[in-house]
Amino acid sequence: MSEYRPFHRPQRPFWWARAPYRGYSLRELSGVGVALYGAVLLAGLACLWRGPAAFASYRAWLATPGSLLLHLLLLAAMLLHMVTWFQTLPKTMPKLIIGGVAVPQRRITALGLATALLCCAALLGAAIGAAS
Amino acid sequence: MPDSAPASTDRTIELRVLRYRPELDGHPFFDHYTVAYSDDMSVLQGLQVIKDSLDSSLSYRWSCRMAVCGSCGMMINGAPRLACNSFLRDLAPGPVTVEPLENFPIERDLVVTVGDFVKKIEGIYPYLIPKTARRLEEGEYLQTPAELAAYESFSDCINCMLCYAACPQFGANPDFIGPGAMAILQRYNGDSRDGGQQQRLDRIHGEDGVWSCTAVGLCSDVCPKQVDPANAVNQNKTKSAFDFFLRFLKRETGQ
Repeated sequence: MSEYRPFHRPQRPFWWARAPYRGYSLRELSGVGVALYGAVLLAGLACLWRGPAAFASYRAWLATPGSLLLHLLLLAAMLLHMVTWFQTLPKTMPKLIIGGVAVPQRRITALGLATALLCCAALLGAAIGAAS
Repeated sequence: MPDSAPASTDRTIELRVLRYRPELDGHPFFDHYTVAYSDDMSVLQGLQVIKDSLDSSLSYRWSCRMAVCGSCGMMINGAPRLACNSFLRDLAPGPVTVEPLENFPIERDLVVTVGDFVKKIEGIYPYLIPKTARRLEEGEYLQTPAELAAYESFSDCINCMLCYAACPQFGANPDFIGPGAMAILQRYNGDSRDGGQQQRLDRIHGEDGVWSCTAVGLCSDVCPKQVDPANAVNQNKTKSAFDFFLRFLKRETGQ
């Protein structure tokens, strides 16, 4: 006869490293990249505060191959973070109702990404303008 | 009848089904079955072929066969799916692994324990609590299309629990209220006629409430009804946080 003895399967080890959770884990990891880049900028600010010599050595470090490689990695992390952040955005807000219809989440993501890219381009344009 | 060719069952596919009979087995194991299938056969029909002609001891839940009742959720090739909504032709040449929903205790074969999930639904007042009581002669509670759109997707939940099987945080903390119950909560909290928001909010604070969620988002991806439970959980994090701070302010001004 039947017996009530439920079997508890353990959660799969390293589930976060497997598909389809890998994308989520990379997204969360990209946050570390953002924090690291924040630290790099903060170090530059600290060097600026300490004086011209310190800032010059900071700039010299920026030009090293190690720093360039780090920046390339951080740029990739930043881009992934930006895309996934705007993909998550519509999940975290109440449904946006305009004219009695819910705005599709994809449109919210696209609008956010477009705004972010526009801001990036404007900042880059301003920086190039200031440098020349 | 449509003029399609008669279904042929000349092809076969292997189904690897996780078995667990509590009175016989110490732990689950895979049984292999080869079934003939036609283009219109779902995994559920494959299981029915097994039960009818290969092994009558196989246990699984099913009812409507048309993705409405939410009974036949199971892991198909490792992903939470409705067995009635997954076609063998798409899984050919196989083999197809069929397991009970992940993150739930296994009762028998493909049947999992649903008691905790039902308790969670019961706990969030899954019914309209009218803002203002109306007498019958005052007529019905009216709602605009915009007010309906605010909660409509959440009312499509069929309680199939695929979202729970996809949620690693529910796997880590079985007391986490989880995506499904939150979708049902939001169905009522988002309703313009409802006045029970505070009562429900009191049930979703803390780790066993919305805060176990880390926005993995797979719950919404696997939902067969596009309910978007991730949206239900995450928009309530904001509400839970606001409630926490507003209460703090309220207490201060109250003194």
